[in-house]
Amino acid sequence: MAKPVENSTASAQAKTVIEGRDVGKTFGGGAVIALEGANFTVAEGSFVSLVGPSGCGKSTLLRLIAGLIDRTSGSLTVHGRDITGPHTDVGMMFQRATLLEWRTAIENVLLPIEIQRSVTSADKARAAELLAMVGLKDFAFSFPSQLSGGMQQRVALARLLQTGADILLMDEPFGALDEFTRERLNLELMRIVSEVGATTLFVTHNILEAIFLADEVMVMTPRPGRLARMVHVPFARPRTPELTLTPEFNALVAEVRDILGTH
Amino acid sequence: MHNDQNRMFWILRAAPHLLLLAAILAAWEGAVATGLITTIMIPRPSAIGGAIVELYVTKGTIYEHFFITLTEAVVGFGIGAAVAIALAVSSSLSENFGRYVSPYAVVLNVTPGIALTPIIIAWFGYGMGSKIALAAVICFFPIFVNTLTGLRQTDEDREELFRSFGASQRQVFMQLRVPAALPLMFAGLKIGLTTALIGAVVAEFAQATAGVGVLMSRFSFSLNMASSLATLLSMTLIGLLLFYTMEFLDDRIVFWRREARMAAVSRARARAWKSGAAH
Amino acid sequence: MTDNVKATSQPKTGQMVIHFTIFLALILSWELGAQMGWLDKLFFPAPSAILTSFWRIYVSQGNIWFHLYISLGLVFAGFTAGSILGVGLGAVVGMNATVRRFLQPYVIVLEATPRIAVAPLLIAALGFGATSKIAIIMLVCFFAPFINTLSGVINVDRDRFELMRSLGASKIQVLRKLVLPEAVPVIMAGERLALTSALSGVLVAEFIQRDQGIGTLILTYTRNLNMASAFACIFTLTLIGFLIFKGMERLDHRIAYWKNEAGLRRVGAKRARAWAAEQGGLARA
Repeated sequence: MAKPVENSTASAQAKTVIEGRDVGKTFGGGAVIALEGANFTVAEGSFVSLVGPSGCGKSTLLRLIAGLIDRTSGSLTVHGRDITGPHTDVGMMFQRATLLEWRTAIENVLLPIEIQRSVTSADKARAAELLAMVGLKDFAFSFPSQLSGGMQQRVALARLLQTGADILLMDEPFGALDEFTRERLNLELMRIVSEVGATTLFVTHNILEAIFLADEVMVMTPRPGRLARMVHVPFARPRTPELTLTPEFNALVAEVRDILGTH
Repeated sequence: MHNDQNRMFWILRAAPHLLLLAAILAAWEGAVATGLITTIMIPRPSAIGGAIVELYVTKGTIYEHFFITLTEAVVGFGIGAAVAIALAVSSSLSENFGRYVSPYAVVLNVTPGIALTPIIIAWFGYGMGSKIALAAVICFFPIFVNTLTGLRQTDEDREELFRSFGASQRQVFMQLRVPAALPLMFAGLKIGLTTALIGAVVAEFAQATAGVGVLMSRFSFSLNMASSLATLLSMTLIGLLLFYTMEFLDDRIVFWRREARMAAVSRARARAWKSGAAH
Repeated sequence: MTDNVKATSQPKTGQMVIHFTIFLALILSWELGAQMGWLDKLFFPAPSAILTSFWRIYVSQGNIWFHLYISLGLVFAGFTAGSILGVGLGAVVGMNATVRRFLQPYVIVLEATPRIAVAPLLIAALGFGATSKIAIIMLVCFFAPFINTLSGVINVDRDRFELMRSLGASKIQVLRKLVLPEAVPVIMAGERLALTSALSGVLVAEFIQRDQGIGTLILTYTRNLNMASAFACIFTLTLIGFLIFKGMERLDHRIAYWKNEAGLRRVGAKRARAWAAEQGGLARA
């Protein structure tokens, strides 16, 4: 039922939002090379998965784009602007929900606004709307420790959307959850991301997940961290889990496995 | 209905404990009455009961001393805690300040504060001042070290998150570091409060004219063991009073660590939100 | 990353210089204040006077040695008895839910009472002398190891406990092979607290009895307004406290070796050698 067709969002006409040229990062004064010579572009509104084993520099690349760490070489721009430090064009999400346990779900969602200015009633309405969007309408006033791991990540997702950032950086956001929860959240993530039309970078070490979600897969290899290849994923959206059973899908999985050398 | 059941449950739970206590007291009373225990050092429970009635009800001698000791402990604790928290906050804000203050904090920690008792009495006199000073000195360290440890805890992911929101240092400190440090700080405050009481009582043993410590030594050295134990009870009461006050504050402020409180706060915030939306 | 770790664990020379400068400035301004009469010498002795006192009480008069010997002997006796009792009772009570339930209210009451407050009572009951002092130290030493052992035993890992039982371990085996080793770090934390309290306990006992020991010495010097000597005694206690702290830390590292990198390496190498020796012995045989 899912036929490989050219995806419009990843077409050549789309505007480039992130561009990296020879991006490198070393730690400890050059002792550890975390990332080397990464060249890539990310088109507006596209969903890009970063896949590879531990130590391949996926998380480093994400933090470089967020401006949380400084690159040691190359150039890196977001919306054509050079990255020199943390900026609010991007929002982040981690494997741990990183919620503040002394704030209710909705207060956690409002945190990014509070950091920048005083909260208006429009912000509050938006926060309630976002919580509804992630399926937590009835849990707005629950504290994080009263929520399950999956629900906590939903709150973190709502908070990420509340930032208003048009680039979402997600570092294995559902990696600590069980298989069923993760699958459900992946489907919802796809729906939500296409609703808000954000550009998404999604780090994972699960090849199936990477391909299923993405328009483009950045395949990375470790020691030193390198961007081995960009793999285009041509399947139409919306996608359903049945897609993973098709031969076309499995051919792509095999291709990525080949690049990673993990057959 | 629900309350009644709770009460019944309580009685059922407390009954074996009370029975055991009664049995111990009866055996003790019996042993003294029948001459099994002859020493005057172990008074009968009934004699202790009589002393309690005298000290707490008929004569009411204890109250003056009770409040003096309580005041000494609380004021000393207040001073010690204020200095400790101020220094811990400064140390966590400025790496240099922390670095150059820490050796002195270590010296203060390894010195038994109690050893300063005679000197502090020489400095501050026989009155309440010296008791307050000793209480402040010996409760300082646990509060300082717990607060500092709490403030220095860093959660990389959360700090990165705050920075990605464009938070200032001040915002990271006030909205992330401080709340995250509160549970540990309260643990330190609880230890400090107990220590402050010890400081006040020991200073009273050494030299004083009033306070439960004075009363205690007076009764002990006139071998009035029943009254001495009755006085000890007041120290337990002060200890319990102080501990549960702090426990209450902990419960209110660090509510996110308590299941029951969390539910209540959650309801209250939902109400506040709705009434805010109605305006 | 590695050089970062080194930088923080080993203070830089520049920092040491600043540390030393601050210390010197403090001492010098204190000395100056005392010499110029801004500080009342009777109450705030000059550092030089304290140094002279150190010389006197340790060398020329040498009177502190006797008192130190008395006090530390009492600390050792009281601490050993009190902490052994605490750990033993803690283990017993922890393993037995019924005992625990009936003991709990008394523990709560005792925890709220400042234990040191019982000192006059114990002295009255047991008379002046070493017995009552040791009893006071035992009392202040007992609680921390007791509570910590108890909580260590209660909080034993459920899964591991079930594993032991599925292997058919007896109660004693569970205690020896799982519960106590798992509780060791917590018990050691209790012992550290206990030893510190023991030092305070002996001082209070000596303040009240006023016959001999370091506490009595401090009291006597202060009464005679010989503050410099009193301070010398207190700094002696600082040193003892520091040695206790460091000693307990090392002991902790040795006993709970699996909690630190160096301990793991040391014990791992030792066991590998022992194993190799045994294998070699078997091969020869």
